[in-house]
Parts: sequence; structure tokens; C-alpha cells
Amino acid sequence: MEFDGEFELEDVPPEKAWIVLSDPVAVRNSLKGCKYITPMDDDFSFDDYEPDEDLETLPEADPEDVAERAFVEGREYAALMQVGVGSVKPRFETSVTIQERDEEDFIMTATGSGTASGSSFSMDSGMQIHPLEEGEGSRIEWWTEADISGRIAQLGSRVIEPVANKIVGNFFSDIERQMSDVDEETDSGITDRIRGML
Amino acid sequence: MSSDSERFAEAEDGGPQPEKHCGHGRGGMGEEVKRKEDQRFITGRGNYVDDIKKPGMLHCEIVRSPHAHARIENIDKSRALDVDGVVAVLTAEDLLEYDLATMPTLMDDTQDVLVNDKVKFQSQEVAAVIATDRYTAKDGAEKVVVDYDVLDPVVDAEKALEDDAPLIRDDIEGQEDNHCLDWETGDEEATARVFDDAPVTVKEQMLYQRLHPAPIETCGAVGDFDPGKDKLTVHMTSQAPHIHRTLFSQVSGIPEHKVRIVSPDVGGGFGNKVPIYPGYVVAAAASYVLEQPVKWVEERSENIQSTGFARDYDMQGELAATEDGEILAVRTDVLADHGAYNAVAQPSKFPAGFFNIFTGSYDVDTAYGTLTAAYTNTAPGGVAYRCSFRVTEAVYLIERMVKVLADELEMDPAEIRRKNFIQPDQFPYESPTGWNYDSGDYEKALDLALEMADYDDYREEQQRRIEEDADKLLGIGISSFTEVVGAGPGKTCDIAGVEMFDSAEIRVHPTGNATVRVGVQTQGQGHETTFAQIVAEELGMDVDDITVEHGDTDTDPYGLGTYGSRSTPVAGAAAAVASRKVREKAKAIAANELEAAEADITWDRESGEFHVAGAPDRSISITEIAAGAYMNKPAGEDPGLEAVNYYDPPEMTYPFGSYIVIVEIDRETGEVEFEKFVAVDDCGNRINPMIIEGQIHGGLAQGIGTAMMEHVTFDDNGNVTGGDFMNYLLPTSMEIPEFETGHTVTPSPHHPIGAKGVGESPTVGSPPAIVNAVVDAMAHGGISHVEMPMTPDVVWEKLDEAGLAMDPADNVALEFDVQSSDEAADD
Repeated sequence: MEFDGEFELEDVPPEKAWIVLSDPVAVRNSLKGCKYITPMDDDFSFDDYEPDEDLETLPEADPEDVAERAFVEGREYAALMQVGVGSVKPRFETSVTIQERDEEDFIMTATGSGTASGSSFSMDSGMQIHPLEEGEGSRIEWWTEADISGRIAQLGSRVIEPVANKIVGNFFSDIERQMSDVDEETDSGITDRIRGML
Repeated sequence: MSSDSERFAEAEDGGPQPEKHCGHGRGGMGEEVKRKEDQRFITGRGNYVDDIKKPGMLHCEIVRSPHAHARIENIDKSRALDVDGVVAVLTAEDLLEYDLATMPTLMDDTQDVLVNDKVKFQSQEVAAVIATDRYTAKDGAEKVVVDYDVLDPVVDAEKALEDDAPLIRDDIEGQEDNHCLDWETGDEEATARVFDDAPVTVKEQMLYQRLHPAPIETCGAVGDFDPGKDKLTVHMTSQAPHIHRTLFSQVSGIPEHKVRIVSPDVGGGFGNKVPIYPGYVVAAAASYVLEQPVKWVEERSENIQSTGFARDYDMQGELAATEDGEILAVRTDVLADHGAYNAVAQPSKFPAGFFNIFTGSYDVDTAYGTLTAAYTNTAPGGVAYRCSFRVTEAVYLIERMVKVLADELEMDPAEIRRKNFIQPDQFPYESPTGWNYDSGDYEKALDLALEMADYDDYREEQQRRIEEDADKLLGIGISSFTEVVGAGPGKTCDIAGVEMFDSAEIRVHPTGNATVRVGVQTQGQGHETTFAQIVAEELGMDVDDITVEHGDTDTDPYGLGTYGSRSTPVAGAAAAVASRKVREKAKAIAANELEAAEADITWDRESGEFHVAGAPDRSISITEIAAGAYMNKPAGEDPGLEAVNYYDPPEMTYPFGSYIVIVEIDRETGEVEFEKFVAVDDCGNRINPMIIEGQIHGGLAQGIGTAMMEHVTFDDNGNVTGGDFMNYLLPTSMEIPEFETGHTVTPSPHHPIGAKGVGESPTVGSPPAIVNAVVDAMAHGGISHVEMPMTPDVVWEKLDEAGLAMDPADNVALEFDVQSSDEAADD
């Protein structure tokens, strides 16, 4: 199953959009059903891990924390996603690896796979932030290719696609809101500082 | 001949009658005895596998693969074992210790009980969690972590045979592709010659789609190993308990006399409960290992996704004919999907089942058929879903092709059938592919059906609608099918080597009633009534004085099970023969009681009593004889009054019928409505007309499901997208029209009571009648075929192709006033 799309933020420059999309906590907050996204080491256990619920994001967060936790190329992350599809609400234990982070052209790609009771998926995703031809804004292009197996896939694309579209749609409208907040309330000095720390 | 509304008005005539049968008021042959089993079923006292509770019983949940094709890299049980109440987690590795990791299929392939290396279809069994209750077992199953290396799947038989297709069966030595088997029948060269010279030939490609038998009760088992007796009892949903006992013994190494299979009440089988499934073996193995009873019961989606499917034959049909419609030859080529294992449930010498009866009810000298079967990443199957081993596919092929030919020649489909029918004086008739039809009178059944359907009137109405460009088209479909049922004979038919005989044992008790045990088992067919009626008829007993038992291998005589309409043809014959053996002994006792010579004793079917020849008033009933057998036995005779018969049928039986379906098709929506549904069946002598009618109704409903709704589908990743009742549509009472049933009686000349079997005729005979009706409605637009299931979108596409579709938008505006904006604002 393939999904892709793009959206524009007239006032948010690519540098600021990049900061928000680099923050696992900001991404988690925009992704409906996502309980956490956290670095995954060998000892990581989905059964035992307790996420810290009260993490702040920009503009409130400490810029150093945001820089510290930003996605790192080559690192693997654990994510817990609970999605309701039709009559089932599986809890996907997911691992995501950041394959590429291009700080110059604002490209980030990731692969991931997740399993839940009787279902599994694997995905290949990416995004690129382009500067708008006119003005300071950004055009964000994204794409994802997902293979779904098991109980969820059996519901068929007529059931899955609206759910996936809704999650993706919610994600980008929410991340857009976060970016606008960051743009309005965080001065470029801070985002530049974070970029410098990345 | 008679329609069932007047069913006892006329004598049952026609054909040879071994013995005259009709009701004597004791519940014998031909009487509408109410089903004995229904008292417990309708009062909620049935006893199904899931009703069985044993002290200390554990529950099993199976972990299934979400992938259709994947290598298992690792299975981590630890998180599951941490769940409170989980007793054990079994994987192939554990079963290997007991040599139980694999099991033979009924076609001698080897199937994993739990996947050892590579998953070959979605929902295949990977691990089993045993816990103290079902919920905990399910929780545990969620915690079994399986690492898969996912491989490309192939779920389409044609793609599976392409050169670059992923190899599914790398476990078979020397297997280099997904080719499963080839089969052929008939005379290739002679058929080719006829086709080369024939004035008319027609060809059509048709898919008999993958179906699921979908019995209302899913499969399940309670394994119960008794270490004190070294005895394994398995209560299971089995259509064939004895052959399952033999296979369980062979697989487990437990001697056969230490294995007991009990098939209690079973909620429908339809061929789905003929194979052995991994769940049964796991429940038995877990009980053996843990020395506690273990229950396993499938969920609905597990049943649809992992147990035996039916059909999946992609068939090309060809007919050669003269210009006036005489069929000269039949040719067919089939691509069969067997799934991941060759597990078709058929007699072992028939890899394509009885498909080679594809010349049907027609006198054709020349025929040739070929078949190629492929492995795919789908659940194994090819079970006989309410049919006798692929006779359904054969009937669909020939009955569709006859319609195609009729349309090509612009002949009436009833006339073309009449012209080609095997005539009554041609029986026994040998078909070009080697079948030996016992008896038939096809024209009589067709004539009755035409009369009941008001055929000529509907033809006129159909024409009128075409001329007037009416919104709804009318289509009339006919199917004049012949079945072949009742396997054996043992010399040609066996299951896993065991010849397909069947058996009955009768014990008449001192007080004059009897217990009858049969080798076949019932899944709802009414055996407890039908077999009692046979014995009542043959012994002059009252049907209420007879109890029929079945389904317990410790007590019942060996039999091959219930499928392929074989219960009445084979076990029914055994019951009649055993009754007659009892009758012989009864004569000796009667002679003693009546103080006459045994040679002078005769039995009167009408009164059911024994009397001295020429002196009917000196008579004695079976009740008095039973007392004599135990309390006043003649000198030189053994005490008791019982007999057993193992019956090997000399031939199969050939039930037939003519179905006529009249449909209305909505040209806007493609919806098909049944206007009339006539079913005339001939199953030889009739035992219980009410049970027969119930069987016909049920089978017709399943035929409608087949033609209109059902299809197990897959996506390219091998996901089953028709794997539950939201996506695999079964008909409900809303989709089922009124049926008009009728019958003719042409007894089987070789069957002891002239019966042929009927349970599967309607499923076999009705789909082509329905498709023929839908095609018929659009034939004037050049449509020669519509694929099943004929959902409204499929039919609408065909209407569109034929230039017959009406644009719904044209009428919508007329029918619905657009709500004004003011009114809308008020809402």
C-alpha cells in the first residue's frame, strides 16, 4: 500500500519545520495512537518500558533537551502504536530505524516494522522539506510504502485506507500546528542554536 | 412423477424396484417421520465438542502466521510463559521429540502440525499455547514472539506456475517449481478428430471460485490421554471417526485399540471435517505430554482461513456438435489450485476426484480432459463441499457448456438437453470416461420441472420484456444434472488405503426394541431417523423402538464416514442387509414359536409379521420373536438376535434432477432477484420425504451462496481478504426465495432398497441453473458467461458490456425531489 502527499506552510521556513520533524516527542504528539517513540537498545522491553508522559516540546521545551533527543541517522527507535481498524484495536510494537538524515536538503528517510496480535507491517517512509519559490515558507513532501499482513490486512484496503489516511492527515495537520506555534513563538536564534547542536 | 405437494397421491412408478416400499404406519420407508435428533437440538440439549468439560481440562490457542510465505528465524516463548495460567507453549521443536511435528494429508503429502521451518500460507499453525482457561491461552498467544524472514508469496495458480515464481515446496526433495500434479482422462486423439471435423464448436473459460464449506460449528477437539490405561481419547468434529482413528494411530504410534475417537453432535460438516487438522493433533499431543485433557476450538476466521477450502478449478470447456444440436464430443482443460499442500480429500486413486463425469446426463461417445494442479501460498484444501469429489465442478462445466451451445445454435436449452439425454433403455450406461451409470430417466424429471416452472409462459414474458425494452430483464436457467455418489466400491475407492465400504450392526433386545450402530457419522443429516426407518421397514418394527448410535469408534463398527452422499448408498445398504440377516434368524425363532418348519415361515412386509405360509393368521411379531431369541431359543441355535454387515457397494449410484431458475435482473443496479426456483430431484426410492426436502432446501441455499455471494479472496501479499463472515458472504433467509420441489423415482437397481442418496444434489445442481438464468437474461446482448459470485457489480458490468445497462442517474432525479435549501436549513 502506498501513500504520499505534500503540504505547504507559507510562513514556516524549512529550518524551523526541520527542527519540529526531528523531534520524536513532537512527532509522537501528532501521531494519533502513538504512545511513545524512544531510542531502542538491546535491553529494551515493550513489556517493561514506561514512557515519560510530560515531555515538553518547542516553544516551551528547553532547546538543549530538544537537540539531545532529536532523531539520529542510523539509530533504532521503539514505538508503540495503538490503532483501531474496524472491529480490532491492535497494539503495534514497532521498531523504526532512521536511514538517512540530510541536514542540507532536509531529507529524512526511515524504515520500520511492527507486530501486533495476528498482524504485522513493514514500512519504508521518507520526507523532504523544500523552500517555497516565493517567500520564506516550506513545501513538505512525504511518502510511505507499507506492507501489511495478518488480521488487519484481511479487513481489506477499503477498511484500512481510510484509517491510514486519517492518521496521516491528522499527523500533518497537527505537526503543521506545532510548526506554526514554533514559528510564531520561538525566535530564529533558538532554532538556529538547536540546528547547530544537531 | 409428482410434485411434492401431491407427493403421496401417486404410486412411485418407473424403473425396476427390488422390493415394493411404501408406508405401513410404522415409520418405515417413505414415511415423513419427525427427526428423532431434533428433540435434543431444539431444546438446547445437543452435545458438541465445545460442550465437553473434563476435570482439569486445559485450553489450547494456536499462534498463527500473519505472513503467507516466511521462514521462521526464532520463536521466543518466554513472554508467553510469564503469563499467569499459561502451562506450556509448544512449537515444532517440542513436537519433534515425540515425532509429531508433521502429519500425512489424505493425499499422502506431509503437512507441518506446527511450522518447523517455513510458513506456506497465512494463518498456518506456528505454536500452541496451553493454559488453564481459554482467555489466558489467548493472552499467552499474543506474547509468543516469532521472528519471520518474509518471502514473496504467490497466491494465484497461474502465476505459481510461471518460471520466476517463488518456490513454495522446498521441503519436497527434487521439487523445483510449484507444479503439484497432472491428470488426464478420455481419448485425446479421438476427441481432437471429432473437434476437427465438427460443424459447430463452442468454447468458454469459467472459474469455479474458491469456496469455504463454513459449517456453523467450527472445528474443535478435546484430547484426553489416560496414562492409567495408556489410552488416548479424542473428542473431535469428525465426519470420519474410524479413518481418523487409524490415522491418529499411525501418526502417534499409539496402537489403534488404544485410540478412541468420539465425534459427538457435529454442527455441519459439508466436507470441511473430513481432513485431519493440526489443531486436533496439537490437542491430542498436548494432552499426552501434560497428562491432562486439552480442548482446542477454532474461531470462525481460523476455520475459514486454515481449514479445507473447496473448488478453485479454473476450467476451459469445449463442445463439438452438429448444427442441429447433437453433442459429439466434450473437451476440458483445468487449472486447479491445491493450496500449500496436496490435501484434497478424495479417494486416493482419484487425484481429480470424480471430475471425469463431465459428460453429465448426455449420451456423448467422445471426451477428453486434462488437469494441472499447482501449489500456492494458500491454505490447503480441495474438500468435497457438499458434493461427491469434484462432481460439482463437472456438473457446472457441462451444464454451462450446454447453455453456451444452445445460445450459439439459437436453440431452446430444454430442447437441446432433450435431444442429447441418455435414454432410459440405455442404462446401465457406460460413459466415455469409464463411469457406469446405474439408472436414470432424465427427460421425465425435465418435463416435470418445465411444467412446474410454467416454462413456456415465462419464455413469452421474457420475449415481451426484450421487445418493450423493460427495466427488468427475465432469465430462465436450466440444469439437468447427474451426480455420482456412494463411494466405494472398495476395489476402486479408498481413503488412505482403507477401502470405502460401510457398516451397520443391529442388536434386537429381549423386550423387542433395537440398537443400531452404523459406521457413518452424522453432522445434521438425520441419520438417527433415516437409518431407524430402514431397519423399521426391513424388520417390521416401529421406528420409535429403534435407537441409532454413531460416532464412537469404541462401540461402532468400522466405517469410512459421511461425505460424498455415501451414507444412504453404502451404510444404508449395510443397514438393510443386516436387517435381512436378522430376519433370517428370526424365521428360525418364528418356526420354533409357531411350531412349524422354518422353510414354511414367510415375512409379510405390509404387516411386518412372520407367519406360516398359507396361514396368515398364525403370525408372530418381531417383539415376540425377540423374546423367543433370549427366553425360548430353539435347540441348536445361538441365543440373541443380532447381525452385522460390512457392505462393499458393487457400483456407485447416480442421482439426478432438473432445476429451473427464473431470475429478474435490474438493468440499473445489476441486482438479481429470484422469480421462481424449481427443483425436481430423483434420488431413487425415498426413505423420508421430509428429510429429503429439508436437504434440498439447505443445499439450494448453499447453491445460491455459491452462485451469488461466496468467494475466498486474497491480496497480492497473501492476505486472506475473504476470511471472515464480514468479507465472506453467506446467504441468509433474506436472500433465499421460496423453493418449489418435486420428484421422480428411478430406483437404483443394485442398491438393496433402491435408494441413491440426495444430500448433495442441490448444491451440485443449482449453481449452473442460476448462472444459466443470469446469462439467459443477457444472451440477446451477446453475453455467453458470467463468473460467480454474480454480485450486482459483476452483473452490471456484463449488462454494460451487452449494451443493456440503464444509467441509474436517469431515474434518480425523477424519483427523488431535491430537497430545497430552506428545508435543509431547518434540519
